[in-house]
Amino acid sequence: MTISRRDFIKTNAALAAAAAVGVTLPAGESALAADDGIRWDKGVCRFCGTGCGELIGVRNDKIVAVQGDPDSPVNKGLNCIKGYFLAKIMYGKDRLTKPLLRMKNGKFDKNGEFAPVSWDQAFDIMAEKWTAAIKKNGPTSIGMFGSGQWTIFEGYAAVKLMKAGLGSNNIDPNARHCMASAVGAFMRAFALDEPMGCYDDLEHADAFVLWGSNMAEMHPILYSRMANTRLTKPGCEVHVMSTFRHRNFDLSDNDIIFTPQTDLVIANYIANYIIQNGAVNKEFMDKHINVNKTTTDIGYGLRPGHPLQKKAKNPNKGKFTKISFDEYAKLVSEYTLEKASKMSGVAPEKLERLAKLYADPNKKVVSFWTMGCNQHTRGVWMNGLIYNIHFLVGKISEPGNGPFSLTGQPSACGTAREVGTFAHRLPADLVVKKEGHRKVAEKIWNIPPGVIPPKPGFHAVLQNRKLKDGKLNAYWVMCTNNLQAAPNMNEEGYPGYRNPKNFIVVSDPYPTVTAMAADLILPTAMWMEKEGAYGNAERRTQFWRQQVSSPGESQSDMWQIVEFSKRLKVDDIWPADVLAKKPEHKGKTLYEVLFANGQVNKFPLSELQPGFQNDESHDFGFYVQKGLFEEYRRFQFEGPKKGHEMAPFETYHKNRGMRWPVIDGKETMWRYREDYDPHVKKGEGVRFYGRKDGRANLIFAPYEPPAESPDKEYDLWLVTGRVLEHWHSGTMTRRVPELYRAFPNAKVYMNPADARARELRCGDEVKLQTRRGELLTRIETRGRNKPPEGMVFIPFFDASQLVNKLTLDATDPLSKEADFKKCACRVVEA
Amino acid sequence: MSISGLVIHTHPFQAEAVARKIGAVDGAEIHAATDDGRLVVTLDEPDNAKASDTFVRIQDLDGVLSVSLVYNYFEQQTDEKEAIDDNFQT
Repeated sequence: MTISRRDFIKTNAALAAAAAVGVTLPAGESALAADDGIRWDKGVCRFCGTGCGELIGVRNDKIVAVQGDPDSPVNKGLNCIKGYFLAKIMYGKDRLTKPLLRMKNGKFDKNGEFAPVSWDQAFDIMAEKWTAAIKKNGPTSIGMFGSGQWTIFEGYAAVKLMKAGLGSNNIDPNARHCMASAVGAFMRAFALDEPMGCYDDLEHADAFVLWGSNMAEMHPILYSRMANTRLTKPGCEVHVMSTFRHRNFDLSDNDIIFTPQTDLVIANYIANYIIQNGAVNKEFMDKHINVNKTTTDIGYGLRPGHPLQKKAKNPNKGKFTKISFDEYAKLVSEYTLEKASKMSGVAPEKLERLAKLYADPNKKVVSFWTMGCNQHTRGVWMNGLIYNIHFLVGKISEPGNGPFSLTGQPSACGTAREVGTFAHRLPADLVVKKEGHRKVAEKIWNIPPGVIPPKPGFHAVLQNRKLKDGKLNAYWVMCTNNLQAAPNMNEEGYPGYRNPKNFIVVSDPYPTVTAMAADLILPTAMWMEKEGAYGNAERRTQFWRQQVSSPGESQSDMWQIVEFSKRLKVDDIWPADVLAKKPEHKGKTLYEVLFANGQVNKFPLSELQPGFQNDESHDFGFYVQKGLFEEYRRFQFEGPKKGHEMAPFETYHKNRGMRWPVIDGKETMWRYREDYDPHVKKGEGVRFYGRKDGRANLIFAPYEPPAESPDKEYDLWLVTGRVLEHWHSGTMTRRVPELYRAFPNAKVYMNPADARARELRCGDEVKLQTRRGELLTRIETRGRNKPPEGMVFIPFFDASQLVNKLTLDATDPLSKEADFKKCACRVVEA
Repeated sequence: MSISGLVIHTHPFQAEAVARKIGAVDGAEIHAATDDGRLVVTLDEPDNAKASDTFVRIQDLDGVLSVSLVYNYFEQQTDEKEAIDDNFQT
C-alpha cells in the first residue's frame, strides 16, 4: 500500500462523513467516483429494526467495504458501530459449511456426536421424522420457530409451507419475544398492525418521550436524528422514562426512573391529568374514538398449574367492553399525582412536567418505546395506555405527533408481522380463526378448505413447553438463537430440545447455543449471500440483490424451505377427505402444490438482473423471490383488509424503499390522515379505517402487580437487555473481532450502594441467582448503565453467561410475550 | 489497515473540549465541525484491535452523545484467506 492510496481512502472517508452532516470539504468530491475495482450496490443493515441503508462494496466475491448509504432516507449516510462492522459478520472463522447430524455408528442417534452429512441425507431424515410425527400425532406435533430476521420471501415461504402445506399453525417467530405486545395493542386499538407515523416525525416533533427504550444504544441512528432535533430546535425537549439510568439520559430534560411495573400507573395519571385540566380534545374524541375498559385479573401466562395462574380470576381474557367517557374519567381519577408519585418513586414535579407536555396543545409529541413496554406481563395494556394519552389530546397520525412503537429486528415488521409468521396469523393482518380469512388464503394458495386449521398454533413460549411435554416432536428452528433468547431455559427450553421424543433441526450460519442443542444443524447462507427484502419499523419495504457467494454447501433459509417441500407428498400429509376436495393435487409433492404451481414459478430467469447472482432461482429454475412476493401481494389487494398494499416487485430494486400502503406508486407517510393516506377520503380528516365505524379504541387498563417481585430471599430486581456493541444473542457481533473486544463478556450492572452492602467491589466475580438457576459473572458499578438501589441489569448476548437460565417464563397473557425485565434475583460472592 | 469516517455528535457547549480530546488521539483527524456540535473525523488505524479501542474511547468521552460511522475501509495485506483467519479469530 502506498501513501497516496492511503490518503485517497482517507479522503473518501472524510468526504462521506462530511456529506452525512451536510458539510463540503475543500478536498473535492471526485475521489468517490474513482475506480478501485470495487462494485458498489445498495443493501440494508442486518441488525435492528431501524432499517439503515448501506452501500455494499464487493471485490473478488468478498464484501470489502460498507458505507452508510447517503441516499437512504433512513440513515442519510450514517451508521452505528454495529453497522460499521457489518462486512465482517459473514466471515467468522466458524461458519457452518456442511449439514451436521448427531450420529453413532453411522446412524442418527440423539446422543451421538455431530458428523457431516449431505443435504440429501439431511432432508431424508427430516422427511422421515416429519411424516412420522404427523401420522402418529397429527399436524400439531410438528412446528417451526422462525424469525424477524428472515427476509420477506423466506417468511412467506415458511408460513406457506407450514399452514398451506403441512396443515399446522405451529409456526411462530422470535418476534413473539420482541413486539407481540405491540401487535396486540395495535390490533385492539386500530384492527390494523404497525405505526401510523414514520421517521420523519423525528424532525417534526417538538418533544420526545421515551417509555422504556434505550434508543441511544439500540437504535443509535434514530437517536442521533432525535439528538439533532433536540439540539437545533428551540424549545425541544426529551423526557426519558426507564427503570434504570442509561445513555439516553445524557440527552434528557426530564429524568424519570420509576419502580418496575408502575409505568401503568404513570400512564393513567397522565390521562387523569389531561381530563382534570380540561385538556381533552373533545372533537377528536367524539369523532374518532370509542371508549372501553378491559377485563382485569388476567394472570401471567404461566403454565395453567402455576399458583399465580390458578389465583387469577380471568386468566388470559382480553375482552374489553364499551363504557362512557365519564365512566372512563372516573376509572382514571384514582390515579392522582400523589398516588402515582408514591407508587412509582418519581418526584411529583417530574410527573407533572411530563403530563403537562402531553396536555399542551401547542407541543407536538412523539412517544417512543421498545422492550420496556413490550416485554411486560401487561405489555398489551401498557402499549394501549400510551395510545389512550395520544387519543385524549388528538396527537396522532400527523407530522410530529404520534405514538411510535420501535422494533428490534430488521424485518420484525416486514416479515414476522406483515407476512404473518405468527401462530394465529395469515398474511396481511388476516387471522386463522376467521373462516372468511382462511377462505381468502385457501383461494390464493389454491389449496382445499380444511388444510389451514382454525385453531391458532403454539406460540413461542408454549412451543418450548410442548417440546418439554413431548407433544411437539419434529421442530425446525431457523434464523434465530432461541435457546439462548427464550425465558427459563433451564426448566423449559433445554429439557424440551433434549427430550428423546423430539427431533430438533436448527438452521444457522454459526454454531449457536441453539444449534449445539439440536439433532441436525443446517448451514445457512446469510444476508448479502442471497437476494432479500426487509420491512423496517416505519413500514418501509427495502430490497437488495445477492452480492456474494455463500461458503461451502451453505444455503439460504428459503432454499432450505422450498427444497424440503420436495420431500413431502400431500397424500401423506393431508387427510383423505380434505385432499378429495382438490383431487387434482393427488400424488403431488408439497413443492408442486406450493411453489412450482404455475403462480410462484411464473417469472423466468431472464428477469434476473444481469451481473448479479441469485443462487436459489438458478437452482429452482425460476425467479423464486419475485414469484413469492407477487403472490404475497395478492393478499394485500384481494384480502378483506385494505391498507397493506405494496408496489410491484421490481419497484423496490430501483428505489431506497417505500412505506406502505403504496397506492398508484405513492407511499404513505402518515396513516389514517386525509392528504397523506389514500384510504382516507376528502373531507374525512381522520379515519381509523381498520374498523368499519372508522374509529379507534381507547381501552382503560389498571395497574396490576408483576409476576415476581423481590422478597427476602431474592432481594433484587433482575432486568435483562442489550448493549450497543452486540446485537441480541451475539451470534454475529461476537464474531466481529472489534465488537468482541469492545465488549467481550456480559457483566452485571449494580448500584455501588448495593455492592457495598454485600461487601463486593467493581470487577468482583459473583453468582447471580434466581429460583430457576444461577450464573457466574462480574460486577460493574461504574458502567454506562446505572441501576437504582435494589436492581441489577445484565445483557443476554453472552453465550458463556446464559442469562435466560435465570428468567421466568411469565408472559403477557394476551400477547404471550415474555417479561424479560422483571423477576427476583440475588447476588452473592462467587 | 482500517480507515473510517465518523460523525460525532456532541453537546454544542462541549464541542470544543471534545474536539481537543479527539485531536490528541493517535490516528484521529478532525476535518470539519458544524455549529450545532457535530464533528467530521477520520480514524486511521494500523490494526483492528487499535481501531476498536479508539472507537470505544471516543464514545465514552464526556460530552459525546453519539458516534456514527459513515465509511469504513479495511484491507488484508497478505494472502487473503490467511488474513481473514487472523482477523476473525475470536
